[in-house]
Amino acid sequence: MLFNSIEFLLFLPLVFFLYWFFFNKKTLVQNLFLIFASYLFYGWWDWRFLALIFLSTLVDFFVGQKIYQNIDIRKKARYWLWVSMAFNIGMLGFFKYCNFFLDSFIDFFQLFGYQMKSTWTLRIILPVGISFYTFQTMSYSFDIYYKKLKPTNNFVAFMAFVSFFPQLVAGPIERASNLLSQIGKGRTFSYPQASAGLKLILWGFFKKLVIADSIAPIVDDVFANYHTYSASTLILGVCLFSFQVYGDFSGYSDIAIGTAKLFGIELKSNFRFPSFSRNVAEYWQRWHVSLSTWFRHYLYIPMGGSRVSKLKSVRNIIVIFLVSGFWHGANWTFIFWGGLHALFYIPVFLMGRNRMYAHNVIGENRLFPTPIEVLQVLLTFTLVTFSRIFFRSPSLTDSFQYINGIVTNFAYEPYVHPMGYRMSDFYVLLGLFVFYEYLIRKDERSPFKFKSKMVRILLYTIVVLAMLLFYDDGVNRSFIYFQF
Amino acid sequence: MTMALTDPSSISNFNSMKKFLLKTVLYVFLILLLLETIVRVFHLYTEDPPRYIDEYLVEKRVPGHNGYAVTGNRNQNFSEFNINTTGFNSHREFVPTKEKFEIALIGDSFIEGFHQDYYDSTGKKIETILDTVEVYQYGYAGYDLANQMHLIKAYKEQFNLIDEIIIYLNYESDLERGVYEPNRERIAMLSSTVFKIRDNVKLLAYGSKVGILEPIKKLVTGQAFQNTTEAYENNTVDVDQSKAAQRKEQEYLENFKSLVNLYGYDKSKTTILLDSRKTKASFLAYCNENGFKYIDFAPTFESTTKPVTLIYDWHWNNHGRELIAKVIADYIKGKKAQNGK
Repeated sequence: MLFNSIEFLLFLPLVFFLYWFFFNKKTLVQNLFLIFASYLFYGWWDWRFLALIFLSTLVDFFVGQKIYQNIDIRKKARYWLWVSMAFNIGMLGFFKYCNFFLDSFIDFFQLFGYQMKSTWTLRIILPVGISFYTFQTMSYSFDIYYKKLKPTNNFVAFMAFVSFFPQLVAGPIERASNLLSQIGKGRTFSYPQASAGLKLILWGFFKKLVIADSIAPIVDDVFANYHTYSASTLILGVCLFSFQVYGDFSGYSDIAIGTAKLFGIELKSNFRFPSFSRNVAEYWQRWHVSLSTWFRHYLYIPMGGSRVSKLKSVRNIIVIFLVSGFWHGANWTFIFWGGLHALFYIPVFLMGRNRMYAHNVIGENRLFPTPIEVLQVLLTFTLVTFSRIFFRSPSLTDSFQYINGIVTNFAYEPYVHPMGYRMSDFYVLLGLFVFYEYLIRKDERSPFKFKSKMVRILLYTIVVLAMLLFYDDGVNRSFIYFQF
Repeated sequence: MTMALTDPSSISNFNSMKKFLLKTVLYVFLILLLLETIVRVFHLYTEDPPRYIDEYLVEKRVPGHNGYAVTGNRNQNFSEFNINTTGFNSHREFVPTKEKFEIALIGDSFIEGFHQDYYDSTGKKIETILDTVEVYQYGYAGYDLANQMHLIKAYKEQFNLIDEIIIYLNYESDLERGVYEPNRERIAMLSSTVFKIRDNVKLLAYGSKVGILEPIKKLVTGQAFQNTTEAYENNTVDVDQSKAAQRKEQEYLENFKSLVNLYGYDKSKTTILLDSRKTKASFLAYCNENGFKYIDFAPTFESTTKPVTLIYDWHWNNHGRELIAKVIADYIKGKKAQNGK
């Protein structure tokens, strides 16, 4: 079920009503109902893949117990951790990466003149959200192994933790210490929390329906026909893709966090205005935070993090960015994208500026940013946007040809929308969006934090009006990150 | 309900929930009210003048309505319409005489022309080019050839005085039936309370126009679930597709013949306006063999580099209408010259 579908529009109020009015007596009942709602939510897409979620739940619940029972016998504990990893990564590998490895293997041999036929390539669908929930269940096993968490004996709560529908298919990837602890306790309805949830949902829908969906046809057109466009259009296309992917994914996260709030659960923030980052390190502290945190905790730090020699730290950075790229998709483009980010990150790290902006925002204690900050933001945006050519292109060849088009056909030509729409509408929309995000940049969880009720109502109205003004029923409304 | 008021925390919960629900409803109401105001002030909605079936069983608009038709979410196309006393959108009244040279232009929404100011319609453009003619546009959204042929027969007295009749034929959708029956269901539906509410609440009219109500319509009609079910089923290739297309082609031709037989067809002054790119060759061949004249505007549309249709809508834009007007005017000029008029 998509958040932006009519089914969800009916599903959410119904589940909300039943959850708070009929199933709120006991935590167990609340959780059983959450599991039912979550499985229905996921099964709406394809019920057959519910078995995978259940299996992943079962394995990690059992493994968690085993790790804890052998917590002081590290070898045994490690063995059980490997069981969890083998199962989850095996599942990911089968559904997501199997064809990639087979094809790469064949391509490799073809380099040496061996012609091989791809008879092993599997005809399988990638189960939605598999990269997200497998990472979430793995984090549970890791946390027990690293003695940060005691395993739960409550299988129902654990099932609800793995399948919690707001964040099941595209995150935020939650750690058990945050989500499972909340699910283990009973929830009581809180007006401020639910009200904040609704506001986040509204803002999330705005980002998805207005920002991401309205510019999607332009991006699709430019990337599909890049060989016919000059540099100005190619640059426009990839810049707009930056906005699209941000609107799409952060919009999804906002709806997920807002929806969880309606059920009395607080999820971690996933986006903290990454467009205003002053260097690439800050960008990764603000973009897809739950994934960055996951890699930091379970890959970077176990490898030594930055507490080892500079050389090893650089190696660790390269590894996590390459793995992060590979996590996004079984394609060399994503690996290259990750590699590029490592290249952008390493100089910042070597200069010791990687934690510089961890606790402040652009224009801190000021109305406007300083000229230096503006330049820093522009430079970061340029680097990140450049890397997105690889993220968006179907193959490495296409990516390089796209870049080649920018360099060799360096000319300006006004872009005409594929449907003939006024392009100025989109420029004004994005300009206002950036300006508004700058205004609210200090708190990603309160997009309508204005004292005046009148101002707030006016803003809600403008947001809904924008959804109507930019609604286009011809657009594919799926979320980009569902494919990961 | 289990949120029973048994202890202070339950009471507090209940009050919180009550506040939440009440405030949500209040805010939604205020937002809708503000949106309705904005939609009205900026005239984002489109107007659809009422329809009816007259005593000759001709489906048309209720005379005397003026207003604005809007295309696109952001007022991309804004045009004025004027329903004349005959019940059609036009800059003039239809009063044919023996002395004047009149052209009747009959068709669906393309001819009705709610996408262009009524005083700059295709008919008006033809009049500007030809100078001494009057063009009567009998356009009505939803007309097919059966409607058009019935109209000519029903208004026989008027059409006897009209010198040229041009029928716009959209081959793909206008030959579905071989006999005319007034669409009373549609008129009843459009006059129903639901549609009256839609037309009076401008926000609903606007939402309906931009397609945001489509998912709700699909849900009500059950299509939303049907699509999901279909998605799980394997695609089956219809091996008889070409046979079905052939049957359709034959059926359309039979319908055309049936309409001509039932309602008559004055070959001397009636011409079909069509797009050969969308019309089957067999139909064109039949017309050629049997003396049914037609104007094909496909080459003219193909020769222009500028778009001929609107944004958000595939109806002709001003440029498209200019081209259509020129094609018709050239045809009339040629015919007049041939007849020595």
